[in-house]
Amino acid sequence: MEKRRLAVGPLGDFPVGKFRIVSIDGVEIGIVRLAGGALHAVRNRCPHKGAPVCKGILGGTWPPSAVGELAFERDGEVLVCPWHGYEFDLNSGLELYQKRPTRLRKYDVGVEDGQVFVLI
Amino acid sequence: MDMPAAEARERRGRHSALKVLDCDVHPTVSGGMKSIYPYMSEAWARRFERKNASMASLALTTKYQHPNGSAIREDTRNEAGEVGGSDPRVVVSDHIEPHGIEGVLLNSLQASAFCCALASTHESVALASAFNDFFVDKWLSVDPRLHYAMAVPSLDPHAAAEEIRRVGSHRQIAAVSIAPINILLGNRYWWPLYEAAQELELPIVMHPSGADSIYQGTPIAAGGIPDSYIERYVTLCQVAESNVNSLIVNGVFEKFHKLKVLFAEFGFTWVLPLAWRMDRTWRQLRHETPWVKRSPIDYLHDHVRFTTQPLDEPQDPRDLDRLVELMGADLLCFSTDYPHWDNDMPEDSLRSLPDESRTRIFYDNARATLRWS
Repeated sequence: MEKRRLAVGPLGDFPVGKFRIVSIDGVEIGIVRLAGGALHAVRNRCPHKGAPVCKGILGGTWPPSAVGELAFERDGEVLVCPWHGYEFDLNSGLELYQKRPTRLRKYDVGVEDGQVFVLI
Repeated sequence: MDMPAAEARERRGRHSALKVLDCDVHPTVSGGMKSIYPYMSEAWARRFERKNASMASLALTTKYQHPNGSAIREDTRNEAGEVGGSDPRVVVSDHIEPHGIEGVLLNSLQASAFCCALASTHESVALASAFNDFFVDKWLSVDPRLHYAMAVPSLDPHAAAEEIRRVGSHRQIAAVSIAPINILLGNRYWWPLYEAAQELELPIVMHPSGADSIYQGTPIAAGGIPDSYIERYVTLCQVAESNVNSLIVNGVFEKFHKLKVLFAEFGFTWVLPLAWRMDRTWRQLRHETPWVKRSPIDYLHDHVRFTTQPLDEPQDPRDLDRLVELMGADLLCFSTDYPHWDNDMPEDSLRSLPDESRTRIFYDNARATLRWS
């Protein structure tokens, strides 16, 4: 089935690092602009237990490391569910550092003439 | 906010006929200490005010702070930005209504922390009363589905009994919440409290206070001191295991035939091996505690219940179903733990159990255990 292209507002309405949630046919989709300019659209539903994942922390994470040592990476690109804390890479939609990761439902999103649109 | 109402309804799907009682919801006192001063004498209020007392419900040391900043879900704040659980109307609109819940049991961890560790014994007596009157006044009046596990000073069982007799007859008070201290529930110390609770047909609820393993006088995890939130969280159930054993072996249910005890938020996947071990040891050494007249397993099924949350998630989810069938679905009462980060919602909990077990766990067992209005 051909995807529909839906305008969701001018780019200026999407502040960097903060999800704006729109409802399309009863489905909530969170759209966010990252510091580098990339836009992401994600269904506002955690694949684990259905929580409103886009209301979680958008930040970095501490990847697997040697005992007692910490590294920090992907700042601004990791979405942490506000319920059970599942971490997702916003670029791939995949849950981080799991053998069998769950995955966020992502949508294509773009800008044309200053307007943000989502393909669903 | 919780998941949208329409989505919650849709996801309830085939289970929409399931009736739900939620045995663990956490309210927060909006406005902090000053909000409960009207519910105590001026002298006590002035004392707390002078010493700048604050409501640090989860007064955690740095190592036990939640790795994502708060144990309370950020998405449960109300429009004024207050922390989740501050507003009874939001608990109704954000939690009770969307999930079709018929009744919730409110348990104040702010009160619990004062009652077991953060306040002096004298202070805790005044504070428990103030919390109880605050919740009766500001919360229970808002919606008949809201029920409350009343606070009692754990450090003075006689004052606790007096407090139970003072407010325990309120029809939306459904239980007595004991904040754990390092005196196990089977100890004779608690008898005055049990006598009052049984008299008013109120069950006991034990729930971690948040101060556990941190302050002297609270139960400390066995074996040593945990070093992180994760480590402490995983071992919290040890407290319940010790208390279930203590209640049964010390004959509490022989002394108080009608008493029921609900262990909230300790999970339940540890209960079956405990039951087996208690039973085996009783058969072998029964004469040491001859007041235990039946198998400990019988007392367990007659008097003790466990809330489902936090649900463990085995790699094969059917393993959890098998465990529930082995231990007995009669032992479990559904709970969410709203608005905390690790809450379980009814639509996503124990979905593949047979309908009969689900009906018992989500409604019937709680109905028969707590004193709902």
